[in-house]
Amino acid sequence: MIEHKLSRRSFLAFSGASIVGGALPNQVASKQITDLLNPASPIMLPANFSPSLWFTMESNGRTNVHIFKAEIGQHVGTALAQIVAEQLCLNWTHVSIDYPEMDHNTFGKYGGQITGGSYSIHEMYGKLSKQAAFARQLLIEAGADLMGSEYEDCLADQGHVKDTLYETEISYSEILSELVLDYAITADDLAEAIEIDRSNFKIIGKPIKALDIPEKTNGAARFGIDAYVPNMVYAKLVLPPTRFGSTINTVDQDSAKEMPGFLAAVPLSFPPEAKSQGFITDVVAVVADSFPNALRAAKATNVSWNTDPKYLLSTGDLFENAEKQMLNEDGSDFYKIGEFDRVNSKIELESTYRTGFVAHSPMEPASALCHYIDGELHVYAGVQGGPLLPFILSQFTGLSPDKIVVYPHLIGGGFGKRFEVEPIVISAILALSLKKPVKTIFTREDEFLLSHPRSLAVQKISAKSTENGEISGLKHEICCGWIAFNDFGLVSPLENGSPISALPDVQLFSATGSDNWYDVPNQSVKMHRNKQIEEMTGNRAVRSVANNYTIFALESFIDEFAHLKRVDPVDLRLSMLKGRQMNSGKNAESLFPKGISPYVNVSTGAYQSSIDGGRRLANVLRTAAGLANYGGLLADGVAQGVAIAGAEERTNPSFSACVADVEVNAEAKFFQVNKLTVVIDLGLIVNPDGALAQVEGSVLWGLSNGLYEELTYANGKVEQTNFDTYKWQTIVGTPEINIKLLENSNYPSGAGEPATSIIAPAICNAIFAASNVRLRELPITRERFASAVAQANSGD
Amino acid sequence: MAKLSVNGRAYFVDDEPDTPLLWVLREALQLTGTKFGCGGGHCGCCTVHINGEAMRSCRVRLGDVEGGIITTIEGLSATSDHPVQKAWVELQVPQCGYCHSGQIMQAAAFLTENVNPTDDEIDVAMRGNLCRCMTYLRVRKAVKLAAEIKSGGKL
Repeated sequence: MIEHKLSRRSFLAFSGASIVGGALPNQVASKQITDLLNPASPIMLPANFSPSLWFTMESNGRTNVHIFKAEIGQHVGTALAQIVAEQLCLNWTHVSIDYPEMDHNTFGKYGGQITGGSYSIHEMYGKLSKQAAFARQLLIEAGADLMGSEYEDCLADQGHVKDTLYETEISYSEILSELVLDYAITADDLAEAIEIDRSNFKIIGKPIKALDIPEKTNGAARFGIDAYVPNMVYAKLVLPPTRFGSTINTVDQDSAKEMPGFLAAVPLSFPPEAKSQGFITDVVAVVADSFPNALRAAKATNVSWNTDPKYLLSTGDLFENAEKQMLNEDGSDFYKIGEFDRVNSKIELESTYRTGFVAHSPMEPASALCHYIDGELHVYAGVQGGPLLPFILSQFTGLSPDKIVVYPHLIGGGFGKRFEVEPIVISAILALSLKKPVKTIFTREDEFLLSHPRSLAVQKISAKSTENGEISGLKHEICCGWIAFNDFGLVSPLENGSPISALPDVQLFSATGSDNWYDVPNQSVKMHRNKQIEEMTGNRAVRSVANNYTIFALESFIDEFAHLKRVDPVDLRLSMLKGRQMNSGKNAESLFPKGISPYVNVSTGAYQSSIDGGRRLANVLRTAAGLANYGGLLADGVAQGVAIAGAEERTNPSFSACVADVEVNAEAKFFQVNKLTVVIDLGLIVNPDGALAQVEGSVLWGLSNGLYEELTYANGKVEQTNFDTYKWQTIVGTPEINIKLLENSNYPSGAGEPATSIIAPAICNAIFAASNVRLRELPITRERFASAVAQANSGD
Repeated sequence: MAKLSVNGRAYFVDDEPDTPLLWVLREALQLTGTKFGCGGGHCGCCTVHINGEAMRSCRVRLGDVEGGIITTIEGLSATSDHPVQKAWVELQVPQCGYCHSGQIMQAAAFLTENVNPTDDEIDVAMRGNLCRCMTYLRVRKAVKLAAEIKSGGKL
């Protein structure tokens, strides 16, 4: 006889009849209270079962999954709800999601909920799966109790507890109508959670339609820019003549005062420490009763500025400075295996790669609505790290964090931009000082001029080899601005897989990707931090972050080396992808930067996603080569190039490979990407259609970055101010795209970014294969291609 | 005071005549489904129908549309089941969704002129509607599906 292990009868606190007494469980979501104001909403039902922070079950049979990650287009709420629904054995039609407000307690309870780094599913999968599995066990116990059945005879299915012996059943709704289950799952409980196995999944792994899509097709979706409170006023910024380094001298508002609806022109000067980290820059906010009136009044406001000439640099100066810096200093160790310098052979190949600034440029311009009422600041905005906002805003407003509440909104494209807080800080200060609700809206010009671009990067890679042509030493130097957030993302450099300094002192997110999965016995990655770029541009994380330049350089270089040694680039890669030592991925746990948790507090077991990394990379490369018929007969002028990556990081890798088919006519200075074949191993996939959509987007983002996108500075100011000058991929000219998701039972990693970084190097490698023209600079504009052709010809 | 006809209703608004229609819709009428993207007619987020034609509402002044018949995303279908909307949901086109009010309005107007478009014709019609999530592959498929739904073929 099986012993009944789950003796938790104490949670059956009281029966339905006693609800009238008002003894509700501790958590009553505020959304339910809001719903009372909606005459169309059903009668408020008590949350009868809140075993976990992450979901609540009601007596009507509905389960509400609480989403703290931001919806930035990845339909994260749907995928997280699928994990809960699977393990709770719910009927999907009885699942809903909500986006609770966030306050000073949210960070402590739910963590940073950073929506970035392709971390969301990776971070949350294990937690939600275990919590929901244990909640299901509690429901089975309650159901068995009510039916008079033995726990061991019962199972859960489609929102019911079923007694398999007597063939009786009771729905969760019936259970929760009878009982209020007052129980909160403990850490000890989770060790007893029995998760449903992948082979029995009914909801995970299915292309369930995203819950947030219907409202995005009929105008009902509420983005941050759509936020509304009665009597709100609008702010338009007057910007300084440089991105940073300008302070306000005088503000002349005489003409603005004549404009309709004008309320105030408020100079905002921030402390140097906020500016030096690129958080915010000095601006004048012009406030009026409507946004068009704010636009008119801003135009009529004359501001004179004092500009520090050291900020008056241009892109060319920054490249030149970065190149000099790389020559003149040794750099800081980031990643080290063996001893590159002691490899007893000469450097056989050395190449330098340059990549420019790239803007986030989401379709929704930044905005925020802040309302200060009854001593509390209410923030209506979309942010990629909501739980942190009360603390950040506290520093700018002097309000205590417990006086700040954030109401998350949908985000019209993040890509890293919505970690930035300028509009929120500005609206908060204006709301406090003007005693009115204020919505600050960036125009597209403001959005560009206040860019937080991906840093330009200058990289040099050198290789040494053995007598039979294997790479025995690889040195990769990276000079760029670091994405500086004090401690966030700082890691200790690694030597042979172990930290070599006591203090975390190099920036993971500015070098990730260079710590590659190739079995090269001697490797050295050195970082050169360029503070001039940081101070002048406020550079930050843009989709796939450092991978977009490190993988471009590395994968171009591997290709160059293969051609130098006259071996096939795919064969060369496969020979180095045996998953040896560190590349077995077994040590991922020790690599995870301590400075990132608790911002990204990954589930126990998440490190499993790195397991077998080297060989999984080999596998995606082989699969992509097969799908693309690599090495087969191609049309005249067409050639293929490959690239691989284990982005985002070694602790959170998705293994991807790209084969690009590119048509080149060097004489006519013409090239065209005909086809991109991409294979990506994501481990377990929660929603295959959602994952596919993310990979489709990232492939085209990579293409756009590779071919078009370049943000430039002249005299300290961004030169591109709208989509007529900042060019990127449109619907015209998208190549044939063939994407294959490889699914397996490995712990899930992220889908939103990793494939972006392999597109540009695959294209450049294909161009070389077709024409012997090597491109070492991104983006590959027509002009750059033409000059590379000219250079190749002159070298002949 | 200007009189506007939007989604079958008449509105009186007192914005300045040079105010872009976009802001009148979003602020005075609180029809926020029409999105502000660039203000320069480059991105198509703010696309609405004026007398049946797809126009960028950020480039249309209030004074120029008095008496015109304006339809926004909110008025495309009372039950959100216009063939384009159905196709958009069926193929799960939107990611962040911000540009898709404009994409849908552009596609809906296009399909009244071309009932059976080719990929190239779709690209030409939709080229001014930018999508930073890069949902273009699905946009192209969904316009075709919408054309089929319209002609009674599917769904």
